[in-house]
Amino acid sequence: MILKRWSVAIAIWCLLVGTVGAGNASPTPMDFVKERIDQIITILNDPTYHTPSQKGSQRDKIWEVSQPMFDFKEISQRTVGPKWDLFSEAEKEQFTNVFSSFLGNTYIDKIQGEYHNEQIVYLKELVKEPLALVRTKLVRESVEIPIDYRLRRNDNQWKVYDILVENGVSLVQNYRVQFRSILEKEPPAELIRRLEQKLQEQNQALQ
Amino acid sequence: MKNRSYTTVALFTVALLFLIGCAGATKSGDRGTPRELPSDPESSSSVSTSEGGNQLSDEELFLLEDDSDWNDGPAEEIYTVPDPIEPFNRVMFTINDKLYLWVMIPVAKGYAKVVEPQIRTGVKNFFFNLGAPIRIINNILQGKGKAAEAEVARFLYNSTVGVLGFGNPAKHHDGLNPDPEDLGQTLGVWGIGDGFFLYLPLLGPSTLRDTVGFVGDRYASPMGFVEPVELSLGLSGYNVLNTLSFRADDYKALKDAALDPYASFRNAYIQLRQSKLRR
Repeated sequence: MILKRWSVAIAIWCLLVGTVGAGNASPTPMDFVKERIDQIITILNDPTYHTPSQKGSQRDKIWEVSQPMFDFKEISQRTVGPKWDLFSEAEKEQFTNVFSSFLGNTYIDKIQGEYHNEQIVYLKELVKEPLALVRTKLVRESVEIPIDYRLRRNDNQWKVYDILVENGVSLVQNYRVQFRSILEKEPPAELIRRLEQKLQEQNQALQ
Repeated sequence: MKNRSYTTVALFTVALLFLIGCAGATKSGDRGTPRELPSDPESSSSVSTSEGGNQLSDEELFLLEDDSDWNDGPAEEIYTVPDPIEPFNRVMFTINDKLYLWVMIPVAKGYAKVVEPQIRTGVKNFFFNLGAPIRIINNILQGKGKAAEAEVARFLYNSTVGVLGFGNPAKHHDGLNPDPEDLGQTLGVWGIGDGFFLYLPLLGPSTLRDTVGFVGDRYASPMGFVEPVELSLGLSGYNVLNTLSFRADDYKALKDAALDPYASFRNAYIQLRQSKLRR
């Protein structure tokens, strides 16, 4: 009888310690990025995916790992800029879905095609709550490409909202400039249509 | 020959004067201003780094600073370079695009198949080393004494230990890798504005200032002294091909990643030049 009570007490105590322990071990931005990228590299190096027929499933696996890294809603909002307010709620959601699929297709395909055992070096991490900057570089045979990740902490979870290449070329800014000239003349629906069209072309090419 | 060089110098001077005129010009419309580096000490003290302490370079602070006011009117103005001859530039872009996809990239890929990467890297290093005098001059013109010294040191080191510049042993030494400077950046540091955007055949995106800079640099580079001019251009062309052989797939990948490739390349070029000015 006493034993049972004790074991219950111990069990509850372990549970509490367990959760508190887990809560304290929130990853730093660099840990977070590194962990995801390491997983992606493992998938890229996995020999089971090295046949052309497996490329599709490799892409799906990479997408599965990389998608939680990014805050696509934030990215969508930032690339559209002030005109985001002109989008209806349905259009906002549609745009976010199409744009994130487009980005996924574009970059994962490129990574699959061009990855040749390059090394990623993690240089430094700067944190100024709720923002962070993780500095890395991609080491190719003859050139090093600096790649920086801008993260934001939302609900205790770090997410990437921009990628800077070559010490300051922001992807978000690059897309914003492209979208802005379209949105100056056309309604939001047109931008979404053009992205969907690009997405279709990509999917056809990937067949 | 003398007449040609006089004409070049004259054109160069005219362009330079034009640019100086452009320096103070404030155009209406979304021009924006280059983002200033944060100089407020408080912003740096609230940052923690993975290396302990918070000694951040100005550049790092800049990259970290969120444009959290990115959605406000004035802050939304990204720094852009005016593009008054956009129709012409777009035609140049299309011509260049075809040239790249149908000629230069296939040739570069073929070349890459035949020639070992070590040799191609050696060639790349050799040409880069030859550019040292220009970089040294431009560092001095910008008042960057330390970087100029580093360039001299790198040049000497790679020319001797690196065997005439084919090797790049300097890359393993921390102080011997200064960022390359060119006349376009020098003019920018002196306060001369970009002017306007230009898409050049073969050379790709540029601005009036950077084109003037390119011509000026070439004038003073060892390549510029090679006679006859066809050989000089041929060597430069070879250098471009060799460099392209390392990045042959990047062009198409970047193009495919864009909804409007011309606007994307234009903005990427401008952002890249802005980031170089900060360093």
